[in-house]
Amino acid sequence: MSVRLDGDVIRLEGPARVEDAEPLIALLQAGERRAVDLDGCGPLHAAVFQVLLALRPPIRGTPADPFDARWLLPLLAPQPGP
Amino acid sequence: MNELLEQFLVESRELVQAAADDLLALERNPGDPARLDGAFRAVHTLKGSVALFELAPMGAALHAGEDLLEALRRGAAAPDRVAMDTLLALVGASEAWLESFAADGRLPEAAEAEGRALESALRARMSGVAAPSAPPPAASQDWLPALLEREAAAIARARTEGQALTALRYAPSPDCFFLGDDPVATLRALPGPIALHIAPREPWPADGPAPFTCNIVIEAVFAAPEAELRKGLRLVADQVALAPVPVPAPAPSGPGLPAPRGLRVDAARVDALVDLAGELVVARNGLAHLVARVGEENPALARALAESEAGIGRLAERMHRTALGLRLVPLGRAFARLPRLVRETAGGLGKEVTFTVLGEAVEADRTVVDGLFDPLLHLLRNAVDHGIEPTGAREAAGKPRTGRITLSAAREDGGVAVTLSDDGAGMDPARLRAVAKARGVADAATIDALDDREALDLVFRPGFSTAGAVTAISGRGVGMDAVRAAVEALGGRVTLSSIPGQGTSVRLLLPGGAAVMGVLTVRAGGELYGIPAETVAETARLPKAAIQPLGAGEAFVLRGRTLPVLRLAALLGLEPAPRGATARLLVTGGGTDGVALEVEGFGGRLDVLLRPPQGLLRGLPGLVGTALLGDGSALLVLDLPDLLARAGAA
Repeated sequence: MSVRLDGDVIRLEGPARVEDAEPLIALLQAGERRAVDLDGCGPLHAAVFQVLLALRPPIRGTPADPFDARWLLPLLAPQPGP
Repeated sequence: MNELLEQFLVESRELVQAAADDLLALERNPGDPARLDGAFRAVHTLKGSVALFELAPMGAALHAGEDLLEALRRGAAAPDRVAMDTLLALVGASEAWLESFAADGRLPEAAEAEGRALESALRARMSGVAAPSAPPPAASQDWLPALLEREAAAIARARTEGQALTALRYAPSPDCFFLGDDPVATLRALPGPIALHIAPREPWPADGPAPFTCNIVIEAVFAAPEAELRKGLRLVADQVALAPVPVPAPAPSGPGLPAPRGLRVDAARVDALVDLAGELVVARNGLAHLVARVGEENPALARALAESEAGIGRLAERMHRTALGLRLVPLGRAFARLPRLVRETAGGLGKEVTFTVLGEAVEADRTVVDGLFDPLLHLLRNAVDHGIEPTGAREAAGKPRTGRITLSAAREDGGVAVTLSDDGAGMDPARLRAVAKARGVADAATIDALDDREALDLVFRPGFSTAGAVTAISGRGVGMDAVRAAVEALGGRVTLSSIPGQGTSVRLLLPGGAAVMGVLTVRAGGELYGIPAETVAETARLPKAAIQPLGAGEAFVLRGRTLPVLRLAALLGLEPAPRGATARLLVTGGGTDGVALEVEGFGGRLDVLLRPPQGLLRGLPGLVGTALLGDGSALLVLDLPDLLARAGAA
């Protein structure tokens, strides 16, 4: 997978691997409220998914992998409450 | 009782039984991996479902049992006798707890202490071996209720489609990324997800997640059987817990899905179906009568009707047989708990016994199978306690140290024969006679007149017990007379044969099931009764004057034969109605010892669905069974030979 910064948006493209987690963390922590665009990416690796779950950036797009789109994406939706 | 609890009890009893079966098989064949897996699964699943209720002591003990079984599977503990004893004790205790929970809605007071004792005994079998480090968090099933609540909507939706649901908790080990695991990929490969929730295992570090430490816990529900999920999870089996989602109501399996088990149907519904099917058979009798009437006016129409009537008749009878088949259950149901009880009994007496069960698949009516457990249990205890000799005595007699007891069932003459035989000391007729005399079971002259075979039957007399000392095992104030009474109440017979020094064999002949029987309905003492048509040779209407006094009774002459006349009402302990101008008699037997029974009226011939007497009627003398009539009333069907024997007339 490639992790690419496109303006204020981090784009994830292609299949995610465990080593994509580290650059993703770095990009997310470097810029305030950067969104992550998942359009067409995946399947997501647990290591990458875990980063998104922990840092909860705004998510855009729909992953290409049907499992990710159906089951993982809803878990990354903004949570109600604090 | 709510449905969840009911389902839990049904399944838990099955699991306890399955665990016991596997453990006993394992004892015979130590290290059998299939049995070990089976026992583990049963205990594991039981532990899982126990978590849904307030059964903490039971859950803790089962957890220890699961750990021990797991250690056995890994080869980290030895499947020795002590380990098996402890595991079987756990199974026995679980069974008792379940019954107490079913009865009172809670565990008995002693359960906590008992559970702790079991737990430490089980853990003790694992000490000295590399015990698994702290049990993985996934191993406890505290998670299940919360998961079920959170995913209730998804579960309810999936359930309407009638699928078997399994809940998963998967806590990947923190270093799993280094091992090349991708928990999400594992998850993706599992069939039929219907709910998924992923949460951090520990709070995220303030400076963001560690990229190479897996810190998630996955909880999910799948519309797939546990076994199938386990396949997909086998590489991470130590990190996952699976539990079937309890089903609140029997769910039919979806189209195309193989049903994991049969459909559970309330027994009362089956009975209702059997009754309806039986009534259909009876109602069709009425049709035959109408066809005959039509025949007088329109022979062509009558022929067509008769053909159609015969077709309906065949279908009705087939339907009736099929419905009756629903009541049939395998005898294995009554046999299942016996191996464990034999083992316990033999262990308590310090005897060695091999117990073999044959013919568990033979089927009989549910009433018969359920009623068989108690008499069999008593017979088995007798066999172990009094039949099989102590090891020393066996060796002295040149027999193998280990006694053999065999329980076998086979279909026979439309019924079922259950035989329990042992290769023990056997019974000595001379000793039986002496004991019977000493206990005053009958007077000495009568006892001396018995041949050896008849002497064996003395053990069935009330108040007879051959045990020199009443033992804790079988001396509980229930004798062989109780066994005979129980078997006869089921419509069966008990016979005994024994060869001194070689063993004893008890044979129970039982009815196979409820059956359609042709009965003649008669009126006696103002009540309607059924009499099996096969026991009636003929019926007669005679002028009052044809009946003449003979000795203390009455008699009449039928084709040169003098037959005693008895009043059916009197045999039944009812007040006979005064005799009118015509006496109505039915003649029994047909042989030389025929008897004429006077009744107050004849009804007609009916095909009825005969059921073994149940409840209060059980053990009532002179009763074959009951039948439901078209108007919903019950008909008592009489056992004429028995009634006459009791009256001393046959």
